[in-house]
Amino acid sequence: MSARPSSRRPRQRSRTSAGPVAVWLIALLVALVATVQLRSQAEVEKSLVQADPATLAFSIDQLSRSNDQLEAQINDLTQRRTKLQSGGSSAADQALQAELDQLRILEGLVPVHGPGVVLVIDASGLTALDLQDALNNLAAGGSEALAVNDRRVVAGVPIVQTAGGVTVGGTLTPPPWTIVAIGDTNRLAETAEAMTQQLRSDRRVRQATYRVESDIVIRAVITERPFVYGVP
Amino acid sequence: MGRAQPLSTALVALVALAVGFLLAGQVKAQLLTPSNQVGRNQALIRSVQDLERTNQADRTKIEALRGEIDALEAQAASQSQTTQGLKNQVADLRAHAGLTPLHGPGVQVDLANGPPGSDPSGQGRNLVTYQDVQDLVNLLFASGAEGVAVSGRRITPMSAFSGSEGEVIVDQGPPLFSPIKIVAVGDRNGMEAALGDPNSLPSLRLREIQYQLTLGVRGAPNESLPAFDGSLEAPHVGPA
Repeated sequence: MSARPSSRRPRQRSRTSAGPVAVWLIALLVALVATVQLRSQAEVEKSLVQADPATLAFSIDQLSRSNDQLEAQINDLTQRRTKLQSGGSSAADQALQAELDQLRILEGLVPVHGPGVVLVIDASGLTALDLQDALNNLAAGGSEALAVNDRRVVAGVPIVQTAGGVTVGGTLTPPPWTIVAIGDTNRLAETAEAMTQQLRSDRRVRQATYRVESDIVIRAVITERPFVYGVP
Repeated sequence: MGRAQPLSTALVALVALAVGFLLAGQVKAQLLTPSNQVGRNQALIRSVQDLERTNQADRTKIEALRGEIDALEAQAASQSQTTQGLKNQVADLRAHAGLTPLHGPGVQVDLANGPPGSDPSGQGRNLVTYQDVQDLVNLLFASGAEGVAVSGRRITPMSAFSGSEGEVIVDQGPPLFSPIKIVAVGDRNGMEAALGDPNSLPSLRLREIQYQLTLGVRGAPNESLPAFDGSLEAPHVGPA
């Protein structure tokens, strides 16, 4: 009698310890698979988000164009460096004068000319945000110099909604807006076409047209503001 | 003993069922994306990544070249008063164009997407857009900013914003994503007042409430802006 229980006990103990071990092992396996499952789903979702073909195509197009522009800038700077290395003060004067002229153009400090597009938008109820959008679209679409109703605009010129209407650089600028953009006419025409199509579907807009011109002159200039708070 | 065995068998069966379920789910998830599509998309992603690497390398090169040119010009300016005069004029214009670092009092604006799923329509209105960034930058300039940088990208007179859903591109990129940090140097009080005006930035404020986008503003006595490291080429425009 006493031998039976003693002979059964070890067997019983091994069965009772093997059961939980098996369950724990399976539970571990479940946890492992669940983790892999969740991570895999997250990865799939992530890659699907990243793989949005429209976003990827946009990024590739944008980055290719950007890299071309950066390459052009590198070539220009490399030439400038070579000129400076080869010459003395006169080479430096030439390089500095060229940069001075270029920066005055970019900052809107001198009258400019070049090929471009002229947009005319006649509307009632358009706001400063609408004008900012239009100017930003043209800037992103290849514009190198911009003016609205003979007021020069660069990034940083305040376009503000006031009780009297939209002001550009502090001057009231009511519609119709004639926006002049100098730059790559192919890109600008494409941008202007898309813009005018969209504007025509806006009930506030009476007229939205554009034309391409081989040479446009912008006489309006900006007065440079000295730094008051910032220290270069 | 007689009751414990069926119980553990049932438990094991239940767990095995769960394992089977998860395995099936796993296989299904993998089968959901056809390998061709994944392959194509991965190739596109690789192209984007390659272009981004080139973009970064080009920017580094531009920064280095501008530094070398500046040093050569300084050397030449030390030998001629005319050159020194020109150099001073260029230095002033470079500073206004964002080609040199700028520091001073200012504000920092942190803009972040609302939580995923907060726009049940799926139109992504919980995401930060390039128009949000454009509106903020315009507001900062209109209220006294003398220089602005968006997530480390300095704004220049030629700057433009573009992008697609949830992606913000400033000038020559590469794309920026939430959270976006906008730093401005200038009239700190003016900028803080404009950012605190409940009537400014109507689209952002509405989406802040509806889709939990976050807009944080903090003033500081000394903010720093980096120099622009991209291209300012303008080949189609010349002096009139």
